Amino acid sequence: MTALNFSDGIYLVDFEFHSAHGREGNLPVPVCMVVREWPSGRTSRYWQADLQQMGTAPFLTGENALCVAYYASAEMDCFHVLGWAPPANVLDLFTEFRCLTNGLRLGHGSGLLGALMHYGLPSVGGEQKDVMRDLILTGGPWSPAEEMAILDYCETDVVALDNLLTAMQDQIDWPRALLRGRYMQAVSCIQMNGVPIDAEALEKLQTHWVAIQDQLIADIDSDYGVYDGRTFKASRWEEYLVANDIPWPRLESGRLDMCDATFREMARTYVEVAPIRELRSALSEMRLANLHVGDDERNRCLLSPFRARTGRNQPSNSKFIFGPSVWLRGLIRPKPGWGLAYVDWSQQEFGIAAALSGDPAMMAAYRSGDPYLAFAIQAGAVPKTATKKTHEAEREQFKACVLAVQYGMGEASLAARINQPVARARQLLALHRHTYRKFWKWSDSAVDEAVLGGRLWAGFGWQIHTRDELNDRSLRNFPMQANGAEMLRIASILLTEAGIRVCAPVHDALLIEAPLDELDQAIVTTKSLMQEASRIVLDGFELGSDVKEVRYPDRYMDKRGAVMWNKVMKLIGEPALS
Amino acid sequence: MQTQTTPKQTAATTTNGPDLKSLRLPANYGATLGVKKLLTNVLVGKPKKPQFFRTHASDEMTFPAMILENKEARESYVVVPEVAQEISELVRPVMLHAAIDRQNNVSLIPVPLPGEDGTRNPWHESLAQAVEHAKLKWIRITANMHAGGYDVYEAEGELPEPEWPAHDIDALVQVAFRGKIITSLDHPVVQSLLGKI
Repeated sequence: MTALNFSDGIYLVDFEFHSAHGREGNLPVPVCMVVREWPSGRTSRYWQADLQQMGTAPFLTGENALCVAYYASAEMDCFHVLGWAPPANVLDLFTEFRCLTNGLRLGHGSGLLGALMHYGLPSVGGEQKDVMRDLILTGGPWSPAEEMAILDYCETDVVALDNLLTAMQDQIDWPRALLRGRYMQAVSCIQMNGVPIDAEALEKLQTHWVAIQDQLIADIDSDYGVYDGRTFKASRWEEYLVANDIPWPRLESGRLDMCDATFREMARTYVEVAPIRELRSALSEMRLANLHVGDDERNRCLLSPFRARTGRNQPSNSKFIFGPSVWLRGLIRPKPGWGLAYVDWSQQEFGIAAALSGDPAMMAAYRSGDPYLAFAIQAGAVPKTATKKTHEAEREQFKACVLAVQYGMGEASLAARINQPVARARQLLALHRHTYRKFWKWSDSAVDEAVLGGRLWAGFGWQIHTRDELNDRSLRNFPMQANGAEMLRIASILLTEAGIRVCAPVHDALLIEAPLDELDQAIVTTKSLMQEASRIVLDGFELGSDVKEVRYPDRYMDKRGAVMWNKVMKLIGEPALS
Repeated sequence: MQTQTTPKQTAATTTNGPDLKSLRLPANYGATLGVKKLLTNVLVGKPKKPQFFRTHASDEMTFPAMILENKEARESYVVVPEVAQEISELVRPVMLHAAIDRQNNVSLIPVPLPGEDGTRNPWHESLAQAVEHAKLKWIRITANMHAGGYDVYEAEGELPEPEWPAHDIDALVQVAFRGKIITSLDHPVVQSLLGKI
């Protein structure tokens, strides 16, 4: 397949738009659109009044036509609000530029200007772009001269697209590029839908947050005694750890490792660490004002697809409801008459590793439904009749070992995680290597491929150049993460095209919503399509999924954040979770 | 223009396009690069006390040899028959058995052959029995000075079968005795043992 396949034409499209009422989180308001046919260069310009009167896009969007954009989810957002049928084929030169250059050091980033500069193509200056953006974001009204300037500016972007497509067309992996374009349409569906937020609770939190911080510290710190005013004292934390016999990782300097990742990791092993971790995280990271919530009380922000090196989405931590501290997820609440379901693949990374490596023991462990216990049985550490109840402690250690392998942990980190001697951790890691030899051989081959071939790839073409990346842990983990991202993309496509209302993708999960009387069926469909996505990515191997349902008037809550949520709600006079 | 008061999904209505499965790329990393692990080290000797090991079940993975041991340097040499005849008091006939441990390290275990009368000393006999046992089971051995032989401990878990490298016994011997094959009485080790230097 090439660009020549589209007999009804190739249309380079760019919209200018701003958020409704100037509020982030609201749907976009299209200001103008410019369409340029490729390669003829015939160009059409449309102002917002023209656009609003059109029932369909003013260019062909069927099976034999191609719509080309840079960061196409934004253009598709405009299609949505204009009520236009989406194009059958979308090519996003942003996703293709990211895919072609992922892992390379780019001098000017991966925005449109960066891509143009990468190929040595002319572009408008970044300064002029900023001026025009600011003018558009005012939301109008614009003078005739300003209208003309905005349309001229919009046209420069389609001219840029023209040059870029000409430069990139022979490098594009067309069939898989169109699949990525299809995902950008799914992203648009998800962004338009957004996540329902309890706006009343959010407003109270925003109003009282500064005032309750001291009370919150006093409340939680009463069990620890580590705060001095609003300052967390490392020396007191060390005293607490000694008194409670908690071995804490240290830096090379000998000081305690105080980074949030360490707190998060230790909180998994030592539950008593969790509340103080949530408190530290809340005090340092929470920017409630940055959370993008529209007038319709839905959290909408750019999902930033393909931004991570693994190809995963990378939405802003402060703008996306799943970004800040987990306790804030309590703000997610279905609207009256609606329900939510959080559906995630069960042990996705383990399943991907098993299927892609073709390791029969690992695949059998996954299919058992409890891969951690199955691993312990396969390694001969527990009898074949062992269950989660009879051998809970052993299962936990083998689970930690599986996760350690996935995260690339060494024996010392694993020992700390399971609170066992290093010798035990070493033994567990050796058992993993012995039990899953085919997986390890495949994993070694991935590193060889990266080092010698200079590139790794996932099932649907996402790739990373690895000449500058010789981190063994990252290289080994890339196939699992990148194929997990491919799986999520395909599931998002299947679900949105099936009419399921997807609110958000969250790493290895999707949050969906439906009217209460349709929720059960929506969950069945979602699980089925997520299974199908796993079969597509893993050549027939099927991953199961788990579901967490929330029905109005209940709210969503991550169990790791429940204690903190309840403490905060108590302080602002709201009811705690039941 | 669409309003935004209710959570209304605008489902994409594109066709399904090509069969998604047909777009899948294999994860056959390294398939065209031809990376393989080279056999660079083959130890010669009895496995260490804590080391579980297996021996190859095939007779083709054994190698009869005359061995000269330099105990001071903890080195073993293969001596060609013509030279061995001349220094028969310094060498002993052994059968080298291919062995492998749980970390996939390959070694050769020399098991002394019976003397002319067909008997072996108890240590050698018990080592031969252990090597035979290791053809089917993962074992480790420890010396029992009181009993005058080796105790054999069998692994209780269902451990996977060993993955043998694709090398024949000649290749293993070549690697194990690289630079340690005595083809002449002039070899410095022989000269030293004969007190000539």
